[in-house]
Amino acid sequence: MTTTTSNDFAIDVSKKGLGYNKPQQMGRKLWGPMWVMAIMAFPAAFILGIVRSNAVSSGEAETTVAALGHVTTGVMFIGFTAVFAAISFAIARILGEFRKGGGEVQELVTTEVRTLKMPPTAKIFILGMAMGMMALLIASIAHLVVAAQVSSGSLSLASAETAAITLEAVRRLGVAVYLVAITFGLATIIKVLRFQAIRLRELA
Amino acid sequence: MTYAVDAKLRPAADADYRAASKWRTRGIGLAMAGLAITSIAFVGNLAAVGQSGVDQASTLAWTFGVTTTGFALTKTAIAVVLWGIILKLWLRADSIKTTLPKLVGTPGVDPKPLGDIDTPFGKATITKKAPGPLPIHKMAKKLFRPMVAMGLMAVMIGLVVSFVAAGSVPNTRALAWMQGLQFLGEGMLLSGISFLLGTILWAIRTAGGEVQESLGVKVYTPKMPGVAKAFVALMMLGLMVSIAQFIGYVVVAGSADPAAAFAWLGPFREFGLGLILAGITLALVAIGNVLGFQFWRVENLIKNGERS
Repeated sequence: MTTTTSNDFAIDVSKKGLGYNKPQQMGRKLWGPMWVMAIMAFPAAFILGIVRSNAVSSGEAETTVAALGHVTTGVMFIGFTAVFAAISFAIARILGEFRKGGGEVQELVTTEVRTLKMPPTAKIFILGMAMGMMALLIASIAHLVVAAQVSSGSLSLASAETAAITLEAVRRLGVAVYLVAITFGLATIIKVLRFQAIRLRELA
Repeated sequence: MTYAVDAKLRPAADADYRAASKWRTRGIGLAMAGLAITSIAFVGNLAAVGQSGVDQASTLAWTFGVTTTGFALTKTAIAVVLWGIILKLWLRADSIKTTLPKLVGTPGVDPKPLGDIDTPFGKATITKKAPGPLPIHKMAKKLFRPMVAMGLMAVMIGLVVSFVAAGSVPNTRALAWMQGLQFLGEGMLLSGISFLLGTILWAIRTAGGEVQESLGVKVYTPKMPGVAKAFVALMMLGLMVSIAQFIGYVVVAGSADPAAAFAWLGPFREFGLGLILAGITLALVAIGNVLGFQFWRVENLIKNGERS
């Protein structure tokens, strides 16, 4: 396999199609479990929200209300972490179909299979996804830890409130980074489509 | 009328298939702007930790509005990039249409009868002519623009309300309107993205049919898979929840003590967005399946053709 450039694209040249790369293989395997996790977490968090609402209206202890608030948010954002991961993996899966299918079609008609090297947008996509996932996961776990601490009495209500504001900031930034990463992943699809439109005509 | 709508969803006849996509550049720029705006709110949020009383409530109100606006911009960026994907899909289809006859030569005889068949990518239908769009495709093509536009508008109005809330603490009425409006807008934006994904599925299906028809072979079209049906159901349900949470906040806006209602409306509005996002995942999975099916069909045509 050799690496070169063609029509402004960095490409790998090989005799056989290269198939899925590692992130694409991971995307194919993991989108499903992530989706299932998300679809379980969202209703669970909503139910917890109803429980908390009942606790507020029935005048239960402030520590209970605060703990329930942290648990609800923690579970909800485990759901968001999972669903954003599922979306990212599904995008990687699409990129994998282009890479595998494009390679196989070329293999049938030529001895020189050209495969687009991973573009910078794809690298930013993976990096952004990892950063967004970490931020959301850390914030979600921290919410559950704070909930445990406030209900056991080892954390004051004021500290729990401060933690809620700080973690909210981290969560929001995590979501923004994740959304930007998804934009880069989709932008990579445009690059692949352009590459294939050009490569197909070269095969004629 | 249908033709006029479809023509607007395709690149111009003289479009250059080699040219870089301006929508890709615009989308990435918009996404970075969204991230920058969210980062400003992030700093404000952290500053709120050191504040108390009215100051803190005021900061939390405007940071909510600004953050959600940043999210909305990034979601709009995603919509812009998806639009770029639709245009490039057509240019790639044109390349296939130009090249495939030369790679296939005279197509081989296809003994399969017209009707339904099983393929490695699920059930498909064999027809003589390319099938028309499904009802969901027609809906998606018409609705993605208004959904994105209305979503952005709702978020922007919510942003203005967040500044009002920040300047008039305590103002639970403004807080309720702000949250309801902005999450209705986010729901609409995500629905717009869902409709764009539906439009991509339409473009892949239509282009696939056109390519096969132009080659003079039987047209293989994948049947609507379970994931695509679940995508539509989740999107509709999520949008309904987004509308319901808005109504909930409007009702609560007039209440003297909305604390209990806020406690369930917060998770409820996020539940709605979660459902739409889960639907979006399935739409992307369906796109991956359809692409796999198309490569399989192209490979079979080449293998069975005279040139093979």
